[in-house]
Amino acid sequence: MTCAELRARLDAYARDALSRSEASRFEEHLNGCAECQAFLEAAEPRLARTESLARQIEPAPDLWPGIRSRLLPRGAGSRRRFLVPAWMLAAAAVLIVAVSSGVTFFLSRGEGGGDPSGPVASASGRAAELEAQYASAAADLALALEAARTRLAPATVATIERNLAVIDSALAESRRALAGDPGNATLEQLVVAAWRQKVGFLRRATALTTEL
Amino acid sequence: MRRLAPGLASLAVLTAIAVTGVAAQQKIARRIPIAPDASIRIQNLPGTTRVIGWDLDTIAVTGSAPAGTTFYMGGAGRVAKLGLESDEKTGFVPGTGLLEVRVPRGARVWVKSAVGSIEVEGLSGEVDVASASGSIRITGSLRLVTAETMEGDLEVSGGSQLVRVRTGNGKIVLFRPTGDLTASTVAGPVQLLDAQPASARIETVSGAVTYDGTLDRRASLEIQTHSGEVDLRLPPSVSAEFDLYSVGGTVLVALSPKGPAPKAAKGKPQFFTAGGGGANVVVRSFKGNIRLQGRD
Repeated sequence: MTCAELRARLDAYARDALSRSEASRFEEHLNGCAECQAFLEAAEPRLARTESLARQIEPAPDLWPGIRSRLLPRGAGSRRRFLVPAWMLAAAAVLIVAVSSGVTFFLSRGEGGGDPSGPVASASGRAAELEAQYASAAADLALALEAARTRLAPATVATIERNLAVIDSALAESRRALAGDPGNATLEQLVVAAWRQKVGFLRRATALTTEL
Repeated sequence: MRRLAPGLASLAVLTAIAVTGVAAQQKIARRIPIAPDASIRIQNLPGTTRVIGWDLDTIAVTGSAPAGTTFYMGGAGRVAKLGLESDEKTGFVPGTGLLEVRVPRGARVWVKSAVGSIEVEGLSGEVDVASASGSIRITGSLRLVTAETMEGDLEVSGGSQLVRVRTGNGKIVLFRPTGDLTASTVAGPVQLLDAQPASARIETVSGAVTYDGTLDRRASLEIQTHSGEVDLRLPPSVSAEFDLYSVGGTVLVALSPKGPAPKAAKGKPQFFTAGGGGANVVVRSFKGNIRLQGRD
């Protein structure tokens, strides 16, 4: 089994959908492949952080140690499984990229944020990159919300729309200001903050459609 | 043997729980033994939920199940689940139904509501509370408070270690916060009263922010808003470094009554150190005004 094949079979392995021989090959490869082990190991902290971003995604915080402990004592003949589907990994990655990188950006801009006239090397490029990520995440969430809006009470829908209008207005205003003063670190912070608010609000609104 | 993820393990346990139907409009009076640090999930979409911590290893529920709902409850060991389930055909009447739930103080409690209010008191563990339009009130010193509401008001009192609260256009009021907190609203105002947090991060879009309290030397306070007014009321003796900036609004600094007459600076960042520095205060606004005033 190759590394790509292993990663493609994570979901099936998690769902216990692999045949016995495939599962053995999966485990054999994982035990002998440092890269695949590192792949899962790297996923662990991201998954743990995801819990604070979206409570629908609740991976085990000790994912990798758990997998490893079940893989190492091989030879017992029993098949070992974990239950974190690949789509959760993907969803976690999207949200982490969209949200936590925004936070990181905000924090990293903090020191120079008070000087709007100072030069900000490549900040606009980074801000544009972040905007694209946020916009993509927001579009996905908005689609999901639209598809599920019939599950919400009309009053709740109205509240959501009202709040989104406030966010969109703020976003448009701060983006216009940034367009007129590109490189202004404070304006970049505010644009990113507005996007963060929008993605966060959409996420919460979408969660409502499944929780309530 | 297959190892289940914790959430699924809970689900598996709860799947085995017998659902107890209670006739409409009937009173509820049920109790079950439970571990002192149990995870307890409560769902009461239509009505008010009160959660009260006590010193018994028991969950005790009283209240009433209105027409269109069925009460269910079950659990064992460290997991329990209870609530009012809506009849899909008839639905429920918003604002009806009451659940008063006594749980071990150290429990981890999860409460969801659609329109009803949620009140929590006497807990020391963790709560995760959400309501679409109902209000939320949490009192006590907990390890973790997470609360979200779309348009209801949200009030948290006491020195919990970690507080994360969010609303859309509802008001957030935090009384005497002492731990680490984050608060976020879209249009709702945020008020921190008698505050002395280790760290606080507040974000609004148009909601006003009021901070009335003090800051330890190692504390940090970050406020970011698009157009909300920001009012900081701190003791004149506070030791902090201030970084206040509103792109289109004014910044007014009047921390010390003995100092020079305050001047409002528009569109200019204000950096200064008070009392030798220590705490960090950063405020960013697009067009809201920022006022820093002294308090007794």
